[in-house]
Amino acid sequence: MSSPMNLDDVLQTFIAESQELLLLMEDALLQIEQAPDDTDTINALFRVAHTIKGSAGLFGLTPIVAFTHVAESVLDRVRGNELRVDESLSALFLEVRDHLCTLIELLASHGDLHGMTAEHEQQGAALVERLNRYLDNRHEPQTSLVQIEPPQLACATRWHLSLRLCPDALRNGMDPLSLLRYLNSFGKISAVVCITEGLPDIAAMDPETCYLGFELGFVSDAGQATIEGAFDFVREGSQICVLPCDVDLTGLRALIGRLEAEPDAMVEAFIACGSVTREQWLAGSSSGAPTTVAAASVVPDLAARDDVTKNRGAKEPRSAEGNLIRVDAGKLDQLINLVGELIIAGAGANLGAIQSGIGELIEATSSLSRLVEEVRDCALTLRMVQIGGTFNRFQRVVRDVSKELGKDIALQVLGAETELDKTVVERIGDPLTHLVRNAMDHGIEAAQLRRERGKPEQGTVRLNAYHEANSIVIEVSDDGGGLNKQRILAKAIERGLVAEGQPLADGEILNLIFEPGFSTADQVSNLSGRGVGMDVVKRNIVALRGSVSLESEEGVGTTVRIRLPLTLAIIDGFLIGVGNASYVVPLDLVEECIELSSDDYGNQEFLDLRGAVLPVLRLREMFAIDGANPGRENVVVVHYAGMRVGLVVDQLLGEFQTVIKPLGKIFGTAHGLGGFTILGSGAVALILDIPKLLGQVASQQKHGTTLSPELTQ
Amino acid sequence: MDAAVLSHPQQAPQRACDGQFLQFLTFVSAREVYAIDTLCVREIIEYGQVTSVPMMPDFIRGVINLRGSVVPVIDLQARFGKGATLQSNRTCVVILELIQEDESHVLGIVVDSVSEVIEIELADIKAAPAIGNRIREDFIRGMVKIRGAFLTVLQLDQVLCVREIASQLH
Repeated sequence: MSSPMNLDDVLQTFIAESQELLLLMEDALLQIEQAPDDTDTINALFRVAHTIKGSAGLFGLTPIVAFTHVAESVLDRVRGNELRVDESLSALFLEVRDHLCTLIELLASHGDLHGMTAEHEQQGAALVERLNRYLDNRHEPQTSLVQIEPPQLACATRWHLSLRLCPDALRNGMDPLSLLRYLNSFGKISAVVCITEGLPDIAAMDPETCYLGFELGFVSDAGQATIEGAFDFVREGSQICVLPCDVDLTGLRALIGRLEAEPDAMVEAFIACGSVTREQWLAGSSSGAPTTVAAASVVPDLAARDDVTKNRGAKEPRSAEGNLIRVDAGKLDQLINLVGELIIAGAGANLGAIQSGIGELIEATSSLSRLVEEVRDCALTLRMVQIGGTFNRFQRVVRDVSKELGKDIALQVLGAETELDKTVVERIGDPLTHLVRNAMDHGIEAAQLRRERGKPEQGTVRLNAYHEANSIVIEVSDDGGGLNKQRILAKAIERGLVAEGQPLADGEILNLIFEPGFSTADQVSNLSGRGVGMDVVKRNIVALRGSVSLESEEGVGTTVRIRLPLTLAIIDGFLIGVGNASYVVPLDLVEECIELSSDDYGNQEFLDLRGAVLPVLRLREMFAIDGANPGRENVVVVHYAGMRVGLVVDQLLGEFQTVIKPLGKIFGTAHGLGGFTILGSGAVALILDIPKLLGQVASQQKHGTTLSPELTQ
Repeated sequence: MDAAVLSHPQQAPQRACDGQFLQFLTFVSAREVYAIDTLCVREIIEYGQVTSVPMMPDFIRGVINLRGSVVPVIDLQARFGKGATLQSNRTCVVILELIQEDESHVLGIVVDSVSEVIEIELADIKAAPAIGNRIREDFIRGMVKIRGAFLTVLQLDQVLCVREIASQLH
């Protein structure tokens, strides 16, 4: 085959593909619970099992092949309408899928299946046994099917089927025999002629290659699309022709032309199949002088019809896949890093041009930077993925958890097409899982209580995503009992998080549940309620430069709103200058900028902002920057998590879109810093981590009355 | 190891058959001569625009832009507790790449001036005396006598221990 190195690469592709397919399978299984007779979904399921089996066979992964084969056989029966998908079968297949997932993960981590333990094997064997129960009585219904066929055939039509399977059919796991069997499930093969002219000498024959062709007479009441659908899995590389047998012989003639076969032998085959009688053929051909012309005109027609069926229904996902390219995420990151450098270099060129004062140069660099910006936007969209994939994972979570809790809960997904950065998507999964579980466990009430409150018995958890300004908002809401503010407050006082009698706004009380070690659940379930969770959720989200807020009305429901930046690589910043250094404040936190009037000059800790008290933070003092104050200072009002603080700075340098350079290990724990960035001039600017900075100030204020003495002296 | 890189080959230690020679970069910081293994030296650049990082221990000078990547710069003299390096026209930043805890860290050290690359036989590096050292004992890999004068070979992994530095930021 290929060198071991290449095989390794291919194995990675197989793993990635299988994981995708298994996700697809999960979706299909969850769908099929709602609509058990949807043939598209059943076909999709069969395709997944079939593809995995086939690909696993290429790698000699016998355990996967053997296991999937049984699953495929059961699905084949479902496809043949011999079995109906019920709840127990779909549940069984979910387990089958999970088992396959385990095996694939094992493969991904070890590179082979030697890591399989007895436990895995037992699990697999148990599932196979349960699957086999659906196969055991296989022969009975088949015979009964044949028995009920004749009456059906009354209204059936005769078809002529011509199959030239692609040489790789056997290697792909398609046995022609099973195709013929499948055909028999919705019709009757009246005659078979096996075309052996493709067979080479026995010495040159490769036993794994399919050399055989078939001409079939087929009687069925199924439509052309159904019959053609039987060959969906072998269509690639094969020549398949489904023709109705009527007096018109042009179809058959075209077939001979298309297959470039010996006409006499073909005609014999047609006659043997009963698709045409010798008399009909002779009568037809004597009048058919322009046969070849007709054939030529019919061929494209047939081909076009092939295309039409291809694009319909079951084939759709594949054609969509054709437009996608699988790219290593590392390469994308590299591209985005380079684009980041390009932006910095472009800003430098711009600056130089402006300083040089040459009009043409300024024009050239400004059109260049416009292009660079477009390139950046394009590059960033490469990393964007729809959040729907993440959301749909929760169908399973909701299904499993609601069964476990004995509550009837539906998941409603909105805004699945909203796009955001892949790294964000990857890291949002865990917090979301937590929130969804929380909503189901604590939010949604038991059915009894819901009835009493006049709500529908089925609870709803809603996941919603939408874009707002330069961020994405994800909402997890439920129509459950809501949060009990009194209980939260009581618990907070009990835990010493709040002093008794301290007045708190509703929002502040709700935010208490994000404090570490806080749980109001009276009972600890194995899902949630241990009080580790909401603080972790908040920490995870803040680590993504996002924020989380909560809305709740008692008896009506709770909504948790997560706000995240669209990407982690680039920040919209506001550039400020203090001393010789430049700092960047995330633009979405900046509320307004005001000039510090001479009246306010001095060492006051508060400003009067249109009648409201605004605490100020003098960056010059906080950062211990030497040098005299410039004549005039400015205040940048930043707003975060309900806190509003004025940062006193020397200069306002304006908006600035920039690439974030990570802090690195040395500065990793530095308070108040979020990263570095490089300015157009080549100087390094510091990105301020406003949430941490404000948190620091708040904790200092808690311990002293105001800022700590060394900062205010 | 090419003899041509030695500035004073006639005084360099004689090559012993079983001895192992390594190249060291020598530089001056606070009038002391130090040597570091050249294997971790990436480049030497002129002391330029350093952006100071607030709320840091004083031996962290700040960060520089090294062709698009941000590199922290450490003042070696301050790290040894001898006050900040005064900038002169011979002040340099030595860019080092250190592997610590399986991670590669690129950082720069500010020194008064860079001298030369010399070859030292490992056996010639003697343990430092227990007393009389002017810098922390664990920063010293050993002492070596070159051309009649002692110089200190630094234990860079200790001097620039990323974990220790990060922990000082509390």
